[in-house]
Amino acid sequence: MRTWIVPYMMKHWRRLSLSVFVSLLGALCAAGLLFTSGYLISKAALRPENILMIYVPIVGVRTFGIFRAVFQYTARLTSHDTILRILSEMRTRLYNKLEPVALFHRSYYQAGDVLAILSDDMEHLQDIYLRTALPGATAVIVYGFWIAVVGSLDGIFALLIGLYLLLLLVFFPLFSLLWSRHKRKSLLKHRHQLYEKMTDAVLGIGDWILSGRQQAFLAAHDQLEKQATQENRRLEDFRRLRDLLSQLLIGGAVLIILYWTGGMAADGHISRTLIAAFVLVIFSISETLIPVSEAVERLPQYNEAFQRLNTIAGKEPKYSINESSIQPKLDERSVTICADNLFYRYSENEDWAVENISLSIHQGERVALIGRSGAGKSTLTHLIYGALKPQHGTITLNGIPCEHFGHRMSRRISVLNQNPHLFDTSVLNNIKLGNEQASFEAIVQATKWVRLHEKIERLPNGYQTQMHEAGSIFSGGEQERLALARILLQDNPIVILDEPTVGLDPITEKELLQTIFETLEGKTLLWITHHLTGTEKMNQIIFMEDGRFEMHGTHQQLLDRYPRYRRLYQLDVPEHLRRQL
Amino acid sequence: MLGTQEKFAFFSQASSMDRKILSYRGAKRVFTLIACLTLLQGLCLIVQAIFLAEVVTHLFDGKSVQDEVRQMLLFFSAFAGRYFCVFLIQTISERFAERTSSDLSSHFLAKLFKLGPKFAANEGTGNLVTLVMEGVGQARQYLQLFPPKMVSNVVLPVMILCYVFTLDRLSAVILAVAMPVLIVFMVLLGLAAQKKMNDRWTSYRVLSNHFIDSLRGLSTLRYLGLSRHHAESIRRVSDKYRKMTMRTLSLAFMSSFALDFFSMLSIAFVAVALGLRLINGQITLFPALTVLILAPEFFLPVRELGQDYHATLDGKEAAHKLLAYSDQETDDERLAHQKAFPEQRWNQDSSLEICNCTYVYPSGTRSALSSIQVEARGFTKIGIVGASGAGKSTLIDLIGGFISAESGIIRVNNQQTVLNHEDWRKQITYIPQHPYLFSGSLKDNITFYSPESTDEEVMQAIEKAGLHALVSKMNHGLEERIGAGGRQLSGGQEQRIALARAYLCNRPILLLDEPTAHLDIETEYELKETMIQLFKGKLVFLATHRLHWMDQMDEMIVMANGKITEYGTPTELVRKNGFYATLVRTQLEGL
Repeated sequence: MRTWIVPYMMKHWRRLSLSVFVSLLGALCAAGLLFTSGYLISKAALRPENILMIYVPIVGVRTFGIFRAVFQYTARLTSHDTILRILSEMRTRLYNKLEPVALFHRSYYQAGDVLAILSDDMEHLQDIYLRTALPGATAVIVYGFWIAVVGSLDGIFALLIGLYLLLLLVFFPLFSLLWSRHKRKSLLKHRHQLYEKMTDAVLGIGDWILSGRQQAFLAAHDQLEKQATQENRRLEDFRRLRDLLSQLLIGGAVLIILYWTGGMAADGHISRTLIAAFVLVIFSISETLIPVSEAVERLPQYNEAFQRLNTIAGKEPKYSINESSIQPKLDERSVTICADNLFYRYSENEDWAVENISLSIHQGERVALIGRSGAGKSTLTHLIYGALKPQHGTITLNGIPCEHFGHRMSRRISVLNQNPHLFDTSVLNNIKLGNEQASFEAIVQATKWVRLHEKIERLPNGYQTQMHEAGSIFSGGEQERLALARILLQDNPIVILDEPTVGLDPITEKELLQTIFETLEGKTLLWITHHLTGTEKMNQIIFMEDGRFEMHGTHQQLLDRYPRYRRLYQLDVPEHLRRQL
Repeated sequence: MLGTQEKFAFFSQASSMDRKILSYRGAKRVFTLIACLTLLQGLCLIVQAIFLAEVVTHLFDGKSVQDEVRQMLLFFSAFAGRYFCVFLIQTISERFAERTSSDLSSHFLAKLFKLGPKFAANEGTGNLVTLVMEGVGQARQYLQLFPPKMVSNVVLPVMILCYVFTLDRLSAVILAVAMPVLIVFMVLLGLAAQKKMNDRWTSYRVLSNHFIDSLRGLSTLRYLGLSRHHAESIRRVSDKYRKMTMRTLSLAFMSSFALDFFSMLSIAFVAVALGLRLINGQITLFPALTVLILAPEFFLPVRELGQDYHATLDGKEAAHKLLAYSDQETDDERLAHQKAFPEQRWNQDSSLEICNCTYVYPSGTRSALSSIQVEARGFTKIGIVGASGAGKSTLIDLIGGFISAESGIIRVNNQQTVLNHEDWRKQITYIPQHPYLFSGSLKDNITFYSPESTDEEVMQAIEKAGLHALVSKMNHGLEERIGAGGRQLSGGQEQRIALARAYLCNRPILLLDEPTAHLDIETEYELKETMIQLFKGKLVFLATHRLHWMDQMDEMIVMANGKITEYGTPTELVRKNGFYATLVRTQLEGL
């Protein structure tokens, strides 16, 4: 709350108060309309000689009638404008929080689309202003205004009616907040369980059908749903009852006002033309007070959103990049990667993720990196990319420690990973991301190299086709090719290929790999792969296990030296099939 | 955010909506009840106005408050009665919505199990979960809000207008004229806003997606060296989005402006007209006051109609979608009950014949399988190969009984039957590329197909599936939570869970769909050893690209474009030098 709301309220207090002020004027106009029209007809009922006697209230009635709508309209516009401004700042802030850990997102948020939830949460925060703060502030001010008006006529009565209306303004909201808090929590828990059940039902549908346990599932689901429904019903019943009681309180307020104005008029303290005015206006005033309960009841909802934002965006980046001030030369076309006794672990009490690794890769060499998940392949590539800083040992590009490059590393190393993100813009812009200065000719050349040019030309708007329309046109292999075109434009001396062919069938895989190796000729390639096809063409093959190099050498060396390698190679390239052919 | 711009649509759609809503269980009774209560509410509303006006008039005339106690109490009773009616109406519609939405969701789920995984995949699993979770909630809101609002809009303004007419014709005329004018303006302005929205839909979509798109692509941006400067573009796009939204909103809010403006203005007109005639003595205070109290009430139902408008619109769509799914006829219902199934469990001598079967995608005209001919006997191991999209998975789905053939004949043990039969499915284990892990304990997951297993049996299955190392590392052993929200497992471990399931339930037919291609080679190697053990004494269908599986297979099916192009033992097919030989060669050659 303190970090996500207060600073923005402080910064935008002018706009926010303006919107409160205007919506207040709107509420006052509504009250004014009823007040003056009550006064008007009462005054007219006295049948004054001159119509001019009621000229002022007539003007008042018309003015209030017209301006009520105008103010309401203005208030909605100004408040939305302010909220959108704040939202835009929040987005930038969330982005800046997430950007430093961009490469580690997968380990940060594993399950589900947390990012989408985050962005939704932020949208929901606008309700804080629109549905809670604004109606709340307006209600408090209208209340104060009303008490002041009554107080100027009769202090004691003002105190009484003030206390009475506090029931609506404070007691009901607080009570419903306290009452519903726990109910809401357990309802949310049940909803979450239901959600898990549903996901299980839909994603595991094949298993349910084969196991013949559909009925058991339906029964369990019904049971759970019933519980959730019951809890929801309790909340709804409570709300309805609260609304009924609020209305009855308003009815009571009308009686009180009748009693008071009747007495005051009889005693001659106020003109009897004001009786109708006061009675009518009390309806409109209580109308602004009723929504407060609901506005306050929403508070716990915001809290959930805040908590998520804070836990995810609030934590300090674990892996900070310290960019050195030394400006590495950018035009180097020949880069040697060198690691010496390299150690890295993510925290003190964990095993080494990378342990005592030494290697050197010269410009133009091709290296295959193989290992199980968790063997340390990603950590090693992150170290090479300079996203992590080693605890012991060094890793350098032409002698400069990798972590010194910071963001400039993107001018040295390109990365092609599985499921490259294609942005929601045109095909052209997507490729251009590799090099924003690239000419159209250069882009076409790149797409020709990756053999996509003709396909793109055939799209309805060619290179200008929007990605979300083309997304389904490009197959998995073609999406990789698009990303490869970006990398060609980037034209870096080193390219890391992070399992780009996972999920492709062998023919597509082979074609893609051929294109990759062909177009990236001369560049240093670090290829993380899970199969051994193609390893014959590599200058080095590295098998990683538990953070160490288990086997390291050329294809022929490994074949000669390790039975294990021979066995695995058999799996990819079965000898007997070769003989058969 | 665009709270009210489509309010107009409410009027145009009101008529089409109510008919559908009446088809839900008990809807007619609910509507009748609500209508009666709304009539009563209207009556109370008018009575309350009369008594209030009377009290005020008497006080105005100088009577003392003490003499008016009876009238005041009557006013309060009518007032309380009115809101009590509202309370009852809301309770009734809430219960109706609760019951109907729960019906909708359970019907939908039951139907989903009949439609099967192919259907779920076609519709998008994410969409289905969202539909049933959020859609049911939205439908419930719609069912809860819509009936009372619709009835009160029909009943209350008419009642009030009629009564006002008896008191003062001019006021009645003002109100009667204001209502259609107001509606016309709302509709026109709403349409204009809608049109503006539609015109800019593309840029709207891009702008509003920009932020989440950027977050999703953050690592790509980082690798391209663009992530730092992108913050600036987020700010810029956000700002552009705000300006665009504000332009549309300024138009969209006009329709509620029209509502406010015309209702307030007509109340003002009524008040002024009353005032002027009071001076002339054409009317007295009591009726004038009654009319003035009733005038805002006349517009109240229309104003309430606009609130939660979007919620009701979404809810209506969701409700109808759910209903449409539930009404869909399934193959199950058409076929399964017509055919008996051979009682005998699959054994060494059993046979399965699929003759000339065809399957067409529900969406298109393209056939996914055409004239399929498969024969399997006893515990044969049959491999299925082909390019992606050739129909391998569809064939597996057909054999697994997840889909049913459009035409052709299927025989099991020489008896004509269908495969989407419970007795057939009970004999099958299916292992896909990514087995689904349910959110629950490890034990729940492994015993999914045989919930009665003892811990000892589970431990044996774990041993056979090669999971013991993992289990011994878990703090809670068999009770460790896995799946969404639990411990994350690697692809190889997921497969081992599926293998443990298969060992435990020990069904005689095994279907595998590319079970190892996504794994690293060492995991694949180890997993293969375990799988081969599982194959023993089972009929196996294995769809894969990986060559090393071929020597485990007795027969191979080669598919292309939904047809079986080659069929025979692996050795025969290599000699034949067709697609299979090409596939093998491609992979053997390397790069």
